[in-house]
Amino acid sequence: MSTVFVVNQRQHNNALDVRNLVIRYGDVTAVDAVSFSAAFGEVTAVLGRNGAGKTSTLEACEGVRRAASGTIRVLGADISSINNDVRARIGVMLQDGGIAPNARVRSLVRHYCTLYARGVDADELVAKVGLHDRRSSTWRRLSGGERQRFSLALALAAAPEIAFLDEPTAGVDLDGREMIRGIIADLVHGGCGVVLATHDLDEAERVAHRAVVLHQGKVALNDTIASLCAGGRRLEDVVREATR
Amino acid sequence: MRLVLAQLRMELTTLVRNYEQLLLIMVIPVGVLVFFGNVAVLPGSITLTRLVASVLTLSLISTAMVSTGIATGFERSYHVLKRLGVTPLGRGRLIWAKAGSVSVVELAQVTVLVAIAVGLGWSIVELSWWRLALALLLGTAAFAGIGLCLAGRLRAEANLAAQNGLYLVLLALGGVIIPVDDLPDGLGAVARYLPSGALAEVVHASLGGASSGVWLFIDAPFGAWLVLAIWALIAPLAAARLFRFDG
Repeated sequence: MSTVFVVNQRQHNNALDVRNLVIRYGDVTAVDAVSFSAAFGEVTAVLGRNGAGKTSTLEACEGVRRAASGTIRVLGADISSINNDVRARIGVMLQDGGIAPNARVRSLVRHYCTLYARGVDADELVAKVGLHDRRSSTWRRLSGGERQRFSLALALAAAPEIAFLDEPTAGVDLDGREMIRGIIADLVHGGCGVVLATHDLDEAERVAHRAVVLHQGKVALNDTIASLCAGGRRLEDVVREATR
Repeated sequence: MRLVLAQLRMELTTLVRNYEQLLLIMVIPVGVLVFFGNVAVLPGSITLTRLVASVLTLSLISTAMVSTGIATGFERSYHVLKRLGVTPLGRGRLIWAKAGSVSVVELAQVTVLVAIAVGLGWSIVELSWWRLALALLLGTAAFAGIGLCLAGRLRAEANLAAQNGLYLVLLALGGVIIPVDDLPDGLGAVARYLPSGALAEVVHASLGGASSGVWLFIDAPFGAWLVLAIWALIAPLAAARLFRFDG
């Protein structure tokens, strides 16, 4: 299964390059001249308070949301003119799921495996996210944590070279977090660049290599976790100070 | 093409599992045709050909507008469309798959309803298949456009109410159940500009029924064809402009 996640060819330096990204909702500028990069084989955590612009930034990188200005290159391709070959190598886990309540686990995972056509076996994927016993259940019958893992499975159907994961551990119990952490580690081990938006700073400190901290739509910090937490400082304290 | 077919299969599987939609698109039209085809409660002016035309019109509005509109509205509110939009399927192929799903359902509806109508004693001899196909194509474009305008703008619950409300108004007052000629003068004049009345009229003409009245200053059935064609052009354009994938 792990071979599925191996990035075979890399003709570009970073998995993601964001330059001077601006996103506006009417008169409100939600993301203001944000620039950062995400490397292959690393977890880049996008952190910040509610309304800092994390989800807007991720959605622009996924191609869901249109930027007012700036450039986004995903796997070397401009997101505004991305083709299906590149699209098929991008894993997306939306904050709000994107799954209908009557969708069954195995059926939808299999459908996504067909759409991405990356050779991922649906049954293995369902087992990997710990939903084998719940494979016939509908989304509405799953617990919060199971729903998150269902949504994560759809992202993994792409055997991604870059994965955008928006709050993957929100509402997930300890065992579920452990499982998701393991899946992210597998992705990174296979060379995938993971971009992770989260409120959970302990989680970010544990799994991320780099943190981009957004505050009021702007980049407040952009550095490695090792640098940010140098001298035994906790990431939570660093982020709190930067977003005060 | 492979992705469109995969999504089409998913759309049809979801439809078959949704009992409310099956009731709307198959059980109600079949029930109406069987009941009114056997029980003589309709005025004498409503012939069996007129009844078949009304039921075919009703079934098309049920599928193209109400069923598609409600399902799409909920998919939009659950962000299903947004999620599918960032897969290799993309938005364009998603729309083709949905159009294919509507076509498959309508084909099944027409087959079943025509078979039942023949069983009730209706003669198929006068039926013009190409005219009926053109009428259903234009009707589908018009009503799917209207349904998607609502689904792409309103909250899911408001969309549900609006689709059902519009459905009932069009059935009762839009020239579907009661022919435009039999409506009171004011209502009849309005119904001659609606896609429902025009569709019922052109379907009736395609089945070999006699046409009457004036539509857009042109005698039926050509006037009714023109009204329907205008709706078939305007409604999808409006939907393309107004529809928002993210709810």
